[in-house]
Amino acid sequence: MKILASCKISDQGIYLNGEVQQKYTKETDNWKKDVYSKMKLDYPKFYKMDALAKMAFLGFELMESVSSFEHFEDNDVALLFANRNSSYDTDLRFIESYTEKGSPGPSLFVYTLPNILTGELAIRKKWFGENIFFIQENFDPEFFIDQINFYFRKGSKACLCGWVDSANDKEECFLFVVEKTDGEITAEELKKYYKQ
Amino acid sequence: MGRKAKLANIVSELYLSYGGLITPLGDTATENFENMRLGKSGVHKVSGSGFNKEDWPLGKINSLTSENRYTELLEKICEALIENVGIEILSADRTLIIISSTKADITALPSDTFASTREILKNKWNPAHAPLIISNACISGVMAINTAADYINGDKYDTVVTIGIDALSDFIVYGFQSLFALSDQSSKPFDKNRTGISIGEAAGAIVISNKKPENGAFCVNYLGGSSSNDANHISGPSRTGEGLFRSINKTAERSSINIQDIDFISAHGTGTMYNDEMESIAFDRLSLNSVPVNSLKGYFGHTLGAAGIIEVISTMLMIEHGLLLKSPGFEEQGTTKKMNVLSENVEKEVQLALKTASGFGGGNASLILKKSL
Amino acid sequence: MSELKETLKAQIIEQLNLEDLTVADIADDAPLFGEGLGLDSIDALEFIVLLEQNYGIKIADPSEGKEIFQSVDSLAAYIEKNQ
Repeated sequence: MKILASCKISDQGIYLNGEVQQKYTKETDNWKKDVYSKMKLDYPKFYKMDALAKMAFLGFELMESVSSFEHFEDNDVALLFANRNSSYDTDLRFIESYTEKGSPGPSLFVYTLPNILTGELAIRKKWFGENIFFIQENFDPEFFIDQINFYFRKGSKACLCGWVDSANDKEECFLFVVEKTDGEITAEELKKYYKQ
Repeated sequence: MGRKAKLANIVSELYLSYGGLITPLGDTATENFENMRLGKSGVHKVSGSGFNKEDWPLGKINSLTSENRYTELLEKICEALIENVGIEILSADRTLIIISSTKADITALPSDTFASTREILKNKWNPAHAPLIISNACISGVMAINTAADYINGDKYDTVVTIGIDALSDFIVYGFQSLFALSDQSSKPFDKNRTGISIGEAAGAIVISNKKPENGAFCVNYLGGSSSNDANHISGPSRTGEGLFRSINKTAERSSINIQDIDFISAHGTGTMYNDEMESIAFDRLSLNSVPVNSLKGYFGHTLGAAGIIEVISTMLMIEHGLLLKSPGFEEQGTTKKMNVLSENVEKEVQLALKTASGFGGGNASLILKKSL
Repeated sequence: MSELKETLKAQIIEQLNLEDLTVADIADDAPLFGEGLGLDSIDALEFIVLLEQNYGIKIADPSEGKEIFQSVDSLAAYIEKNQ
């Protein structure tokens, strides 16, 4: 297997394939809209997404701006995701809708599941492959390598993996695409990209 | 269809056995099956449960008495596991625990909703490895079993214990109410007059192992499973059943079986117009129209992250007893494609059973069980 | 009428959690659903809540909303007529 692309978005900035981006930054509270506008994307559904889905969407678009995934067929790519806080931010906002704002908001409720972001990515790419979402205490590269091996053994040709978390004003998004080839990737390699 | 898999994916024979089952219909698998066989439902109107104090029908476990329904339910299913499986296996180095839950301890917010889960397991038997948590909407339970099989086939563990659990909360009831998705009578999956979902709560546990249970307890074989996204909408079911169709095809291929040899389907069947219609379209595309099918949501309500697990346990019970349970609430066909929905209990020896699930995020999952020789 | 439309836009952004949009991003006649703002049937439910909470207008049948919720123009016209 080999890493085709990676994207890390953290308080330190936005990194693509290990290189910090000058054009796309994370300096303002509006950084998601800024990146969306600068990339000249035309996907109105973006505005409706919650923070988790927006980050995953932008991270993927950024990777696609430098790498092509067009050679994969619509069943080929497994989406393997995890985070620590599930849909924390949206859960709190949904509770607020019925405790303080008058009535439970359906457009918030549908985002109170972390795996909605995998659905958004699948819709964007028209990818019908496997999807799974785990809750873990920390990003665990060995865990992801195990999962990637399982899905390659079951027939996936690539895995779009991600650690996307948002809680208490701390946002984190790490995406990487791994293709099935001879050879291995190491936990150290993943850790290096993640730590940026 | 029915193509044999080119590469065998089954590394070892896998066996599923009962770990525990706590639902509105009882605290053990036996008690649940007896009540289902008698046609009892655990779904009843719960006074003032709605956002505007409506009396929604819910699958509520009346024996839960403490403030925190989730932690009490988790404690109970852990006790059942200790009794049925034993501390030795549960805490072994070659054993992994997988938890399947959508909202876990949602009342803990703004604290970590999964912290109490880890804490309770630690106190009960201190597992050798941190429990793996899957939160993938309504397909979580089926995915937990598929993931368990991955770990054993990958020779990481010999035994994986999957616990599916979700408890009732204002959060969930108000949420489905805001979507106009709740039924004002107990849900009627696949019926012409269905109007929506009844939410429920439950916990179930299944032991997946590369060995048969040593105490000779009943078990079935797990042949294979898969998932597939609809790539269509985050909350609305696909109009073509594409993801479910693809998942069943993949699962059959991985299981090296012919789809036409499936002789029972435990469907998802939530009771909403669009979901049930979507399932009928997917089954029709696979020519599964005449295979006996039920939805168990009329017995327990839709128990979200627990649903896949408790419905697989129920399927194992049906295989064990050679009795297919009727699909509660079903009277008249209400899907455009023909389905053989069970309106009465039917005695039948099942060799190959298909379990399916579909959920928010566009997810679909399936697995195939075989009667063990 | 134009004041009502500006208020409506702010309410839509608030009710539908479109916090990355501003009032200036929504044209009076732009389609709210489908290609326009990308809204769907779940958001239609939010419009029902919005009309009830802010304008006291009750829409019993969600399918009735289709025409009313086409654009800010059509929403404002409906409110003017029914208030």
